[in-house]
Amino acid sequence: MRIVVLVKPVPDTASGGERLRPDDLRLDRAAVPAVVNANDEYALEAALKLTEAHGGEVHLVSMAGPTAPETMRKALAMGAASGTLVTDDSLAGSDMVSTTRVLAAVLRGIEYDLLLAGADTSDGGGGIVPAGIATLLGLPYLSYAAKIIPDTEAGSVRVHRISATGYEVLESPMPALIVATQALGEPRYPSLKGIMAARSKTLDTNSLADVPLEDGAAVGGAVSTTAVLGSEAPPPRAATRVIREPAEEAARQVVEFLADRRII
Amino acid sequence: MFPVFADVPLYPFAIVVFWGAAAIFALAMSRHLRVFAAARPAQPQPRPLGQIGPRLVGLVQYALIQTRMFRDWRAGLMHAGIFWGFVLLTIGTANIVTGGVIETIVSAPFDGLLWKGISAMQNVVAVIVIGSILWAFERRLISRPRRLTFNRDALLILGMIGGVVATELLAETFEFAAHGDQPGAFVSAALAGPLRSTVPVAILNDLFVVLWWAHIALVAAFLVYLPFSKHLHIATSFPNIWYRKLAPRGELPAMDLEREDATFGLKSLQDLGWKDLLDGFTCTECGRCQDACPAHATGKPLNPKAFIMGIRDMSVEAEHGLDLIPNNPIVRETYALAGAAPEASRMAAPIVDDAIPYDAVWDCVTCGACVEACPVLIEHVDKIVGLRRNLVLEESRFPVELTGAFRGMEGQGNPWGQPASTRTDWTKGLPFAVPTVAAVAAEPGGLDELEVLYWVGCAAAFDERNKRVARAFATCLNAAGVRFAILGQEESCTGDPARRMGNDYVFQILASGNVETLNRYGMGRRTIVTACPHCFNTIANEYGQLGGAFTVVHHSVYLQRLLDEGRLRVQEESAAAAGSVTFHDSCYMTRYNGVVAAPRDVLGAVPGLELREMEKNGKNTFCCGAGGGRMWMEETRGTRINTERTRQALDTGAGTVATSCPFCMTMMKDGLADADASGAMAASASGAALAGAGAGVVNARDIAEILADVIQPDPIPAGRRLPVLQ
Repeated sequence: MRIVVLVKPVPDTASGGERLRPDDLRLDRAAVPAVVNANDEYALEAALKLTEAHGGEVHLVSMAGPTAPETMRKALAMGAASGTLVTDDSLAGSDMVSTTRVLAAVLRGIEYDLLLAGADTSDGGGGIVPAGIATLLGLPYLSYAAKIIPDTEAGSVRVHRISATGYEVLESPMPALIVATQALGEPRYPSLKGIMAARSKTLDTNSLADVPLEDGAAVGGAVSTTAVLGSEAPPPRAATRVIREPAEEAARQVVEFLADRRII
Repeated sequence: MFPVFADVPLYPFAIVVFWGAAAIFALAMSRHLRVFAAARPAQPQPRPLGQIGPRLVGLVQYALIQTRMFRDWRAGLMHAGIFWGFVLLTIGTANIVTGGVIETIVSAPFDGLLWKGISAMQNVVAVIVIGSILWAFERRLISRPRRLTFNRDALLILGMIGGVVATELLAETFEFAAHGDQPGAFVSAALAGPLRSTVPVAILNDLFVVLWWAHIALVAAFLVYLPFSKHLHIATSFPNIWYRKLAPRGELPAMDLEREDATFGLKSLQDLGWKDLLDGFTCTECGRCQDACPAHATGKPLNPKAFIMGIRDMSVEAEHGLDLIPNNPIVRETYALAGAAPEASRMAAPIVDDAIPYDAVWDCVTCGACVEACPVLIEHVDKIVGLRRNLVLEESRFPVELTGAFRGMEGQGNPWGQPASTRTDWTKGLPFAVPTVAAVAAEPGGLDELEVLYWVGCAAAFDERNKRVARAFATCLNAAGVRFAILGQEESCTGDPARRMGNDYVFQILASGNVETLNRYGMGRRTIVTACPHCFNTIANEYGQLGGAFTVVHHSVYLQRLLDEGRLRVQEESAAAAGSVTFHDSCYMTRYNGVVAAPRDVLGAVPGLELREMEKNGKNTFCCGAGGGRMWMEETRGTRINTERTRQALDTGAGTVATSCPFCMTMMKDGLADADASGAMAASASGAALAGAGAGVVNARDIAEILADVIQPDPIPAGRRLPVLQ
C-alpha cells in the first residue's frame, strides 16, 4: 500500500515566540524553530500504522521554505520512506490556491493508494488545501477521519468521519484523499535508529521549474489573492476570580456566577 | 605415609575426593565464565587492572570488615560469625586435603605451641559457627524477616555449613575419646572425656571414622553444589567488590550514539558486561535492596532483588548445552558434542519481560536505595537505565506520558514544554535585579566580578511553587551581597530527566548545548550554584563525558558557607517562629553526592527551629517518587510513593516538611495536600504535635525559603565584602 502524506514545517507553537514580520506582516519563519505541523503528524502516524498492517511505504510531499529538509527529516525519522519537497523563492507568500496547484501538480507524478493530510496547519490555519487538491485531482474526499479501514483486495477504503452526533461511515474507491484527525492516535516518538536511518533517506528537492503545472496556472507570492492587512494582540484577559470556599459554598457561587451570565 | 592421619582408614582417598570435587567446582565456574566471555557489553566495563588503591580499600571495607552488613547489626553479627568461622576452619580442612602438610609445618616451631593454639582456636570457632548457623535457621524458619524469601537452597547451604563444622568437631571428639586427646583442642577434649568412660573404644572409633568421612563428603558436596547456588557469593563477592563502580554514583555510563552497528543500551543478555553478570552470581538474595526500594514498598512490580536474580537465571540458562569439560573441535565432532560457547539465541534473549517485567523497568525512581543497601555492591540502577535506553532509542517503547516530556525538552529545552521565552519570569517582582550572564559579560571586566552563576533549573523557572524557591534563594544571595547572575534564556534543561528516562540522544543534545554555553562564558573557572540536586548531579558528574569540567555547589552547601562566613546573618528575634521542621533528604544529594549535613546546618541556623528527623533520613532517605523521570510519568501501579513519604513525615509531628530539591518539593507539597484533603494529616499527627505548628496544616518549604524568612535583609556594604567564595 502506497500512501502519500502532505506535511508542512510550521513555527513551533509551543515556543511562544511566533510573530509576524513587521514590514510585510507575513509569518516570521526565522524567529522560531520549525516543527512538523501537528495535524500532519496525526496523518503520518495513521499512514505508518496502515503500512505496518498492510505493507507498503509512506512518501512525504511538501511545499515549504529552503530549511524544510531539516524538519522533513523528523517526519522521515518517524518512519516515512522518502519525500518530495518543492521550494522556490517565488513561492514565498503563496496563497492557498497556489499551494493547492503546486501540490496537485507534484502529486500527478506520484503513484499512491491513499493521500493523507492534516485538517489544517497551525501557521496559516486555512484548512482548504486538502479539499482543493481532491478537487483538482478528482479524488474522493473523506474528511475528519477518526478511523481508516482499507480493503486492499477490493481497492476501496472506509472512513469513520466525525460528526456532531457521532460518526458517519464513508466508503470510496482508492486512491482517495483522507483528512486525518487526532482521533487516529498519538504520533509516535522517533527512535534513535529511526533518526539515524532518516539521514540517508531520499528527499527529492525541486524548484518551481521542475513542477509540471497545468497550462496557464499562475502561482506564487506575486499572484496571491489574500493579504494580511493588520494584526493586533487580543486584549488581556480580565482578572481571574478564584473561589476559595468549602465545596458546597464554592459550587453555589459558581452556579450563581454562570446563571448571572445566562450560561446555565 | 600420612603420619598425621594414621588413625583414618583409606585416608589417601580423602585427598582424591576433595580434589575431584575441587576440579568440578573449577569447571563449573569456568562454564559460568564462558557466558561472561560471550557477552559483548554495550556499556563500559571496569578495567581488569587499575585503581588498585581504592579497590583494595573497598575490599577491606566491604568484603572483610563487611561494614554494610552491620547496618542490620543482628544479621551482621550472625554473618560475621559464619564468615570468619568458615575462613578459620578452612585451615583444618586444608590440612586434611593436603596430607597433613600444614600440621607438619606449623607443629615444627615452638615445640608445637603454634598448632596447639590453632587447634584451640578451631574449637572455639566451630562452636561460634554452629551457634551462628542455629541463629540463621531461626531467622529463616521462625522470625523470618520479610526480605528473606523462603528457599530450599538457603536451608540446604546452612545445613551443609553446619554439617561440615559439626562433623569435624564430633569426629575430633570421638577420635580423642578412642585414641587419646591431642593438645589444644580443649572443647573436643572436654566432650571426649565422658564418652571415653562410657562408650566402648571400638564404637568410638567407628563413630570417628564415619564422622570423619562424613566431613570430607560434605566438604566435597559443598564444593560441587556451590557453583549452582546463591551461596556462590563466598567466591564471587570478592571480585565483585574489587570491581565495584568507582565513578561517581550519579554518573551513568557514557554512550556513543554514532556507532550505527551498536546495540543502544541493554537489550539482551549479551549486551550486559561481565561485571553485570558477576553481579548476578554475587547476589545472595538477602533482600536488603528490596527492603529499601520505594517502588517495591508501595506495591509496584519492581523488585531489585528479583531483577538481579533474573539476570543470574538468564545467565545460567545460557549455559545449558555447554559441557562441563571444555572440548576441542575434533572431540566435539567425533562425539557430536555441543559447542564451547553459549548458543547465540540464548545470549540474544531479551532481558525485559524475562529478568524484569516491562512495567518494573519504568517503576524505578533511580533513587539508588538498592545500590546503597547492597552488602556486595551490586549496581542495579545503571542496568535499569540501560534497559530504558534500549526501549527508548531502539524500540521507541515507553510510557506514553513521556512523549510530551521528550518533545518539550527537545523543542523548548524543558520537560514541561513551557515557552523558553518565559524562563526568567520568576524574577519579576523581585526588589533587586537578577542579571543574565550575557549582560554581565557585556560590561568590561564584568565576568571577573561574578562570584557565582546561579543555575536555576527548569522546575524553579517554570513551576509556580518552585518559582517561589528561586525567589527565596535569590533573596538570600542578594542579602549576602553575592554577585551572581543567571543564564536566562540561554539555560536549558541539563538533560537529567531525558538521560534517566533512557533518552540519551536528547540528553546529549541538551548537555552538549549547555557545556558549550557554559564554556563560552568561562564557567569552568567559576562556581555554579543550583538548588536542584538533579541539575547538580548531572553538571557535576556527567558533563565530564561531554567535555565540561565545572565546579558545582548545591544551594544547601552554599547557604551554609554564607552563614559560616557571616555574610548571611539571621535576625535573632525573628517574629515568625519556625517551629518544628522535619527535613526530607533528596536522594541525589545524600546517596549520590554525600551531602547530608549542609541542609541541616542551614536549618540549625534558624532561631527557634526544632529539627525532627524521620526514621529514614540521610543516606537512608526514602525517595519522594519523582526521580528517574518519574516526575513526568503517571503513578498507576501500587500506592503513591509520595503518599508513603508524606506519612513518614507526618509521623514526626513536625509542622513543616523542609526540602532541598524542586521535585521533592512538588511531591511533598502534593502529598501533604492529599493528606490534608483526606484528613490523614489530622489523624496521623496526633493533635498535640500539630497544635504546636499553629495553623494545623503542614506545609512543604525549601530550606532557602525557611532561611529567607529570618535573614537580615541589608546587604553588607561593598567595602566590607568578605573574600570571594570559591
